Amino acid sequence: MSKKPKDLPEQEQRAIAVSLGGAATQHTWRNIGLIVGREYKNRVTQRSFIISTIIILLLVVIGAFVPTIIQYFTSTSNVQTKIVVVDNAGPIAGLDGDALARYIGTALNGTAGTNAPGQNTSGKPPFAITIQTSNALGSLQNQVKNGNLNILLVLDRPTNQDVYFTYYTNANATGDTNLSKVQALAQQLNFLDIAHRLGLTPAQTSRLFAQPGFTVVNTGQGQNKRSESEMVAGYIIAIAGNILIYIVIVLYGMGVAMGVAEEKGSRIMEILVNAATPFQLMVGKIVGIGAAGLAQMTCIVAVGIGALLLQIPLQAALFGANGGGFTLNITGASITLLLLLLVYFLLGFLLYATLYAAMGALVKRQDEVQNAVAPLTSLLVIGYVVSFFGVYTPDATWMKVISYIPFWTPTTMLVRIGANGVAWWEIPFTIALMIVAIFVCAWISARIYRYGVLMYGQRPSLGKLAKLVRMK
Amino acid sequence: MGLVVEHINKSFAEFLVIKDLSMEVKEGAIFGFLGANGAGKTTTMRMILDILRPDSGRIAWNGKDVREVPRRNWGYLPEERGLYPKMKVEELLIFLARLNGLTKVAAEKALDEWLERFQIAANRKRRVEELSKGNQQKVQFLATILHDPAILVMDEPFSGLDPVNANVLKEAFLEMHRRGKTIIFSTHQLEQVEELCQDIVIIHKGQTIVQGSVQEVKRQHGRNVVRLKLDNDPEARWLDTLEGVQVTKRRQDYIEMRIQAHLNPNLIVEAALQHDGIISRFELVEPSLTDIFIEQVGMIDLLDAPSVLSA
Repeated sequence: MSKKPKDLPEQEQRAIAVSLGGAATQHTWRNIGLIVGREYKNRVTQRSFIISTIIILLLVVIGAFVPTIIQYFTSTSNVQTKIVVVDNAGPIAGLDGDALARYIGTALNGTAGTNAPGQNTSGKPPFAITIQTSNALGSLQNQVKNGNLNILLVLDRPTNQDVYFTYYTNANATGDTNLSKVQALAQQLNFLDIAHRLGLTPAQTSRLFAQPGFTVVNTGQGQNKRSESEMVAGYIIAIAGNILIYIVIVLYGMGVAMGVAEEKGSRIMEILVNAATPFQLMVGKIVGIGAAGLAQMTCIVAVGIGALLLQIPLQAALFGANGGGFTLNITGASITLLLLLLVYFLLGFLLYATLYAAMGALVKRQDEVQNAVAPLTSLLVIGYVVSFFGVYTPDATWMKVISYIPFWTPTTMLVRIGANGVAWWEIPFTIALMIVAIFVCAWISARIYRYGVLMYGQRPSLGKLAKLVRMK
Repeated sequence: MGLVVEHINKSFAEFLVIKDLSMEVKEGAIFGFLGANGAGKTTTMRMILDILRPDSGRIAWNGKDVREVPRRNWGYLPEERGLYPKMKVEELLIFLARLNGLTKVAAEKALDEWLERFQIAANRKRRVEELSKGNQQKVQFLATILHDPAILVMDEPFSGLDPVNANVLKEAFLEMHRRGKTIIFSTHQLEQVEELCQDIVIIHKGQTIVQGSVQEVKRQHGRNVVRLKLDNDPEARWLDTLEGVQVTKRRQDYIEMRIQAHLNPNLIVEAALQHDGIISRFELVEPSLTDIFIEQVGMIDLLDAPSVLSA
């Protein structure tokens, strides 16, 4: 100490450093175990924790069932859409009367199962088509108006010209799903009609409709032997994993900071520092809350996957073989990605939680926590936002650099792996970097923690903080 | 042996808060640790408990540095009380006892015994926040002693207690004393110190100013206060003219005066008889600790700007 000590002026903020070692280090594992147990139990028995878990679980289950439910209602409650076609145009593409009705019927109903999911093949077709003559037009328009008839389609042919379609409906324009179907039908009829009038044979016409030969060759990812569906699964897992990581770190990181601030605020910290070292207290808190978070997430993910898997037999039972709109395609690649998601998730949580704990130790009251952790949350948001660009440029240099920075590794690496843009060594490399970062941050946080836990003054500035960390 | 504090110094940032403080607490004693607010009591206690480390000097318990004394030997009741408000009494106390080194079985056994003694066994399944303030104080005290520590360090244990609970605590003190525990406590209620303590230390601005057994301290500072009552002359104005005598109180039941150390108290009796006074009371008073405390701390305060830090 170079300066000569003098008397303490009143209200001066003091840096009180709790001793790091001492006899309490003899029982580090026992103490950490006890604290972890308390934190875990305390959290999972909290009423707010239980209620929020139940609400999330309900939402997840409902979310999984919604597509099936919607499908069920559309297939059972939907009465036939009655269409009356009034043909003033004469034969269209050589079709007339019943032949025209049959053609329209096939076009609207026929390709069931592939084009129109939700249709019940064993029941009535969704559209009922009748052809009527023009003299009833006025009464038909009235039927549409009062709802007895769903759609009235009038075909006219101005002299020697293309067919003109008029579509009468009572339905709200924005919600009318039939309009596009009928429009597609009109286009098809018009095309056939013109081809017919040009003198093309049916065979020639069908050649016009045929798809051209078209193959996509991706030369950029020659080493990639993954199928298209695996790639899509990869993206989905990476993006969903990213959102999960973000939410969990913010939620439980905040939980850690709040927990520390609460112990300070209720002053039980004074007893705790007598029995355990600041390091034990910090690690116990982080692991305990982390374990509670992991349990909650596992519960949610397991119930979510279970509910989704349940849809396959359920849909099969409800809609028959044609009904399956959802298939879960778990391949080896997705499982690797899921495992990496777990690893990066755990490392990311540990890294951020140590810093959240230090921030919690610096505040005086619990309501200041939100402000104190804001810089940390911003740090996380940067990595989160950047990761979405990673979908498009997984192997750009700037993307690589960002994904090597431990604070941003979890979110960005996941997307890069999902997009198959990483070399194999980048995964162990970033994991090692993160572990180093966790130790460095834990060391810094433990030092801040031991100054913070007995400090009830103003929150120190960043400069002062740096000084505290360097101080012995 | 017991607890020996030798020449400790402690500064926060560049401010020296404990200056060359030494004291000794005999094993098994009840020891009063006195000082004004901001004198450095809490800091010293935290150093004894090895929560803080002195910059220099040594603190030892039975010859062993406090850093090496197992934690379960220490019981600490901080000045700022605090518990986990949402935890059940039973769970909280067992957690703390185990953290302090007891096995689960031993913790449960100790809990049963002490909840009974403190008459709060009915509350064991309730949350701490649901308890009355008095009962919370009891739980706080149990958190300090449940792991059966050898040394109890208590910062203001009597503050905020109603007379009934203060009595329960006093009984617990004596019980711990009978069990051979060493008790160090700070307080502002000096009557309690006179009642309970064998030895005291008074610190001021981080330095020891008075130290010794209560009787010694009183003897050192006593014998110069005289109480006098004259039936026929309750005012006794002539006292004001006596040299070396300073009247400090004129009460209905007596007049209290301070006489200079070299004066023989018999002078007062002689002067009273000369003034035809009928003496119904004359006594040499041992000063109370409160008097000594105010005299010592107040005197030094006059020399310096007052320090208002919370210790």
